[in-house]
Amino acid sequence: MESPWRKLSCLALMILLPVNIFLIFIYAPVEKTMGIVQKVFYFHIASAWIGLLAFVLVFIASILYLRKREAALNRLALASAEIGTVFITCTLLTGPLWAYPIWNTWWTWDPRLTTTLVLWFMYLAYIALQSGGETENRQRFAAIYGIVAFINVPLVFFSARWWRSIHPLVITSEGMGLTAKMRVALFASLITFSLLYVYLLQLRYRSLSLKERVNELKSKLT
Amino acid sequence: MGKYLNKVFLIYWKDIRDEVRSFDNLLSTILFGVMLIFIFSFAFQLADLDVEQAFSAILWVSIFFSSVLAIQRSFAKEEENNVLDGLLLGTGDRGSIFLAKFLCNLTILLIFEAVITPLLWIFIGASGVKASLGLLVPALFLGSWGLAAIGTMLNGMTVQLPAARLLFPILLFPLMVPVLVAVIQCTAAAFAAPGESVAAWLYFLASFDLLFVIVPLLLFDYILEG
Repeated sequence: MESPWRKLSCLALMILLPVNIFLIFIYAPVEKTMGIVQKVFYFHIASAWIGLLAFVLVFIASILYLRKREAALNRLALASAEIGTVFITCTLLTGPLWAYPIWNTWWTWDPRLTTTLVLWFMYLAYIALQSGGETENRQRFAAIYGIVAFINVPLVFFSARWWRSIHPLVITSEGMGLTAKMRVALFASLITFSLLYVYLLQLRYRSLSLKERVNELKSKLT
Repeated sequence: MGKYLNKVFLIYWKDIRDEVRSFDNLLSTILFGVMLIFIFSFAFQLADLDVEQAFSAILWVSIFFSSVLAIQRSFAKEEENNVLDGLLLGTGDRGSIFLAKFLCNLTILLIFEAVITPLLWIFIGASGVKASLGLLVPALFLGSWGLAAIGTMLNGMTVQLPAARLLFPILLFPLMVPVLVAVIQCTAAAFAAPGESVAAWLYFLASFDLLFVIVPLLLFDYILEG
């Protein structure tokens, strides 16, 4: 069952990925005060975007799963959650790489950082809930957790921002004056990463389907 | 409506009586909390840190950890002899089971806090400091409400996954982050000089609490499906 979409997105990625690298490292100018370390920003923003996008998909697929009870919807949610975890991990790793030279600290409890970390925790909890036996129960519970966790994300963000607005801000806004060329590179990163997400999602979805099929065949044999 | 509330009350009363009769369970939760605040306040003293400043942090970390013990029992005790099936047959409605369990957990948490909060206050040697009870009590109440609501919902799930009991705190704590931020602000303000208003935080907590009673009520049919 070869899907034409997977091949298409694979081909597009083979072109877009090198173009994106070119745009980031050669086309976009080096930032005047931050220097070369600013380049991490293009990867950082794009993976954070995918982390959020993947979570929205988990939420939607979870609602649909509760209504329709199709294993395919659960596979979609799980695949999205796994890929989202990978990208949020990238966000959490690239952030400090930039923050240490610029903010002079690896970590700060800024609302965005706090929310990203909590989002990461919820992703891990979601995946932990999905793994293991008693499949039917777990899929249902994971769907419920996916919905509740999604509702929780804005609450985490607002509570953290509110808290920071009461206390003085240690680090003021990032002050990102982007030149036109930088904006092009950022835009290209967002598109490339989105496509990468779509591609990985199809791959993971397929491998989960195959895994299910193997289990089915195994149980038929025994 | 009256009939529904009566149903909720009957399950609630059954659970409370069960807690009273198996008092050692509540007692071990309280003892665990006492141990936690003892270790925290003692460790802070040993490290020569300002323990008074840390009052709200110590209090809520202890409540969060102990709540895992307290809430994890609420559905586990229905497992023996398939009591949960009986409850489902008897009530025919899953929402009322959730509400009753939630109220029971809230009651247990409040009893627990009534013991450890004064104790912590003594341990840190803040007897000279005046606390605003008008702020501390609502903060404890609203914070426990949030813990009990989300905790009850999650416990309804984990109890059906025998291999995954350890997941409960992992699922619970990320969802509790907004509550943690809010209650720490309120509790700290209760001990600070009056002036700084935390009314907005109390409203935030109240809305969070309301939301996370409504959401589980809507979803509870899916949790107790069996």
